[in-house]
Amino acid sequence: MPIGDTRPSVRPAGRTDPAAADTVRRRVGRGAPGRPRGERLAPYLLVAPAVLIIVVLRLYPLVLGVNFSFTGDGVRNGTVVGLDNYRELLADPLFRTALGNVGWLVLLLPVAVAIPGLLATFIYLRVPGHRVYRSVYFFPAVLSPVIVGAIFNLLLAFDGPLNTLLGSVGVPPTDWLGDPDIAKFVVVGVHVWATFGMSLVVFLAGFATLDGALLDAARVDGAALPQVIRHVIIPGLSRTIQFVFVTTMIGMLTSMFGLLYVMTSGGPEGSTYLPEYYIWIQQGQMNRPALASAASTVLFVIMLVVGLLQIHLLRRAGKES
Amino acid sequence: MKKRALWSAALVVGLVTMAGCGSAGGPGNSSGGSADKLVVWDWKSGEASAAQYLDKAKADFARKHPGVSVEFVAQPFDQYYTLLGAAIQAGKGPDVMLFNGGGQIRDRVDALVPLDEQVAEDKQRLAGWEAFTADGKTYAAPVTLQGHPIYYNKALYAKAGLDPATPATTWDRFLADCAAIARAGAKCFALGNKEGAGIQFWLSALGSGILTAQEYDDWIAGKRDWNSPNVKRVFALWQEAGKAGLNNDGANSTAMFNDSFAIFQSGKAAHIIGLMSDVGHWKDFSEFITPDDLGVMSAPVVTAGTTPSLAYDGGIGYAVAKWTKDPEVAADLVRSLTSTEALKAFYADAGAIAADTTIDVSQGGPAVAGIVSALRGGKPALHVALSSKTIDLMGRLSQQLLSGSITVDEVVKQLAASDQAG
Repeated sequence: MPIGDTRPSVRPAGRTDPAAADTVRRRVGRGAPGRPRGERLAPYLLVAPAVLIIVVLRLYPLVLGVNFSFTGDGVRNGTVVGLDNYRELLADPLFRTALGNVGWLVLLLPVAVAIPGLLATFIYLRVPGHRVYRSVYFFPAVLSPVIVGAIFNLLLAFDGPLNTLLGSVGVPPTDWLGDPDIAKFVVVGVHVWATFGMSLVVFLAGFATLDGALLDAARVDGAALPQVIRHVIIPGLSRTIQFVFVTTMIGMLTSMFGLLYVMTSGGPEGSTYLPEYYIWIQQGQMNRPALASAASTVLFVIMLVVGLLQIHLLRRAGKES
Repeated sequence: MKKRALWSAALVVGLVTMAGCGSAGGPGNSSGGSADKLVVWDWKSGEASAAQYLDKAKADFARKHPGVSVEFVAQPFDQYYTLLGAAIQAGKGPDVMLFNGGGQIRDRVDALVPLDEQVAEDKQRLAGWEAFTADGKTYAAPVTLQGHPIYYNKALYAKAGLDPATPATTWDRFLADCAAIARAGAKCFALGNKEGAGIQFWLSALGSGILTAQEYDDWIAGKRDWNSPNVKRVFALWQEAGKAGLNNDGANSTAMFNDSFAIFQSGKAAHIIGLMSDVGHWKDFSEFITPDDLGVMSAPVVTAGTTPSLAYDGGIGYAVAKWTKDPEVAADLVRSLTSTEALKAFYADAGAIAADTTIDVSQGGPAVAGIVSALRGGKPALHVALSSKTIDLMGRLSQQLLSGSITVDEVVKQLAASDQAG
């Protein structure tokens, strides 16, 4: 093979001569000698299946859903209604409650992240029985939300074991799933119980990258546990914590349907509605697919914001590291 | 960066260009089956208690159309209308489909074939057609009747020192009986309102003792006066019953199916507003309460001068999709599914009060005899006349009434607005 025809497989470091680069671009554009048309088209051909799948199975349904949100339901089926569905959504107290609950989820997010973080810290620091805890904490992650919901429905029933236990120490019974001020926190609590095992695993993976010498140094310096957590573990795991934050948020927004359905059916008084549940009710029970599409678009935008936040956070963390 | 901006711009332009084109409701006119095969969707065909019923119906249809095969696809009930909605939007749903009477079918009549001509012969034999009618056209044939009898536990009555043969006929006497039952250690009502459905049962079971006959008929005809004192009384009574401790504790977190029924069956509550189709009904209860101890009573009179009646409608019924190849053949299948022989089997195995009121129920015990005898003077259920949206709202408001976070005036105001909006 003539040496003169070889091209470097990687771009050489350093500044490129703009004039030379321009010449190369022009040559390629006209059909560089030695590179047949098939070779130039090959990359496009290779990515075509992936692009096709993305366009047909991802983008098209997405565009279709957004498109439906501008049409009417029932007698106005198929007609363009502009922003009517969005106006109706904003005027619907139930949808506003669902959005409000998204706000509650954001507020409860630090708790949902702190629990696996703390437990992973204890496991990493080898508290007695840490191997058992690791399995036990992870176990609920493999249970279906429907089963988790059914279990907690039994435990939290008005005449269930928890209230019986509380009654035995003189605490009056609480309607855990029937009181609107309590139910939403109970459902989030059960969701955290059921899912923190996965975040715990992510934290443990993060701990694996932590420099043990730093911990030893802190101990030698006489640092107490809270100081070790604050000054060594949290800075060392900043990327992991950010990742868990965003994935937990996405999980809360998109994976609570099963629990909601089984535990509260959106109640009591609509207090545990989330956008996802609202969409299902409008589509399946109310026969309002266009309104459901509008709600779905709103949820998509929320998810987009969370997703962009994720990218932003991870990029920033990457730069810092 | 420039490229990304271009792609984003292209996406936005695409969305704006397409915005409002097409519809979420789908084409609704493409075919769902073939000429020699009918596909039926329901939530019953997977149940053992419906096996004989379907066998009889299939045999009847096979005699009429030997060349046409029938496939029953049992869907889970809690997903049924979601799946059906998606199928309707795609215009490729089943040929024949099962519906609950009332809002569920009325919301979807655009996808159905009117069956008035095909079922004209069955009009007299079957009851409950109104629940499957919209704008004067019939869209399904009733299989069962669904209503809301008030069941009571005669053994608990005896324990409380009450006469099981003469349940209360007025609300005041009923409250006195409830007090006696409470002293005997049981609640008056078993109530599961987790799904917000309890209020529907309450409205329909007690409504005939609260609304005047004129108000009742007007309500069914769509002329509902939500500001009427008697309409407000329905909701006030619901709230008062909760405050007075007539219901089991935690009613808002108790599921109707099957938790509230379990409370009644286990003798923890003396009354329950149940059903008469094939779940939550006399046959279910008879498994735990002997048929002789299971009573059915009329609604107590709340408003003087009213004559309580059993509230019932068509329970479930089969309809024919617009996109089926041959609507006449599909309608024949519906007629086979509502034939007397098939319905006899459904009553015998599942205990459902069949839409065919000529079926002999004399072996069923006092409760079923009481229900069937009340059919003659019965009227359509009040909640069935409401739209799905209003019923959904009513469920949430009923939970607020029980928790005391809303007034009756606010409830009727919101319901009136929803009812007016349709």
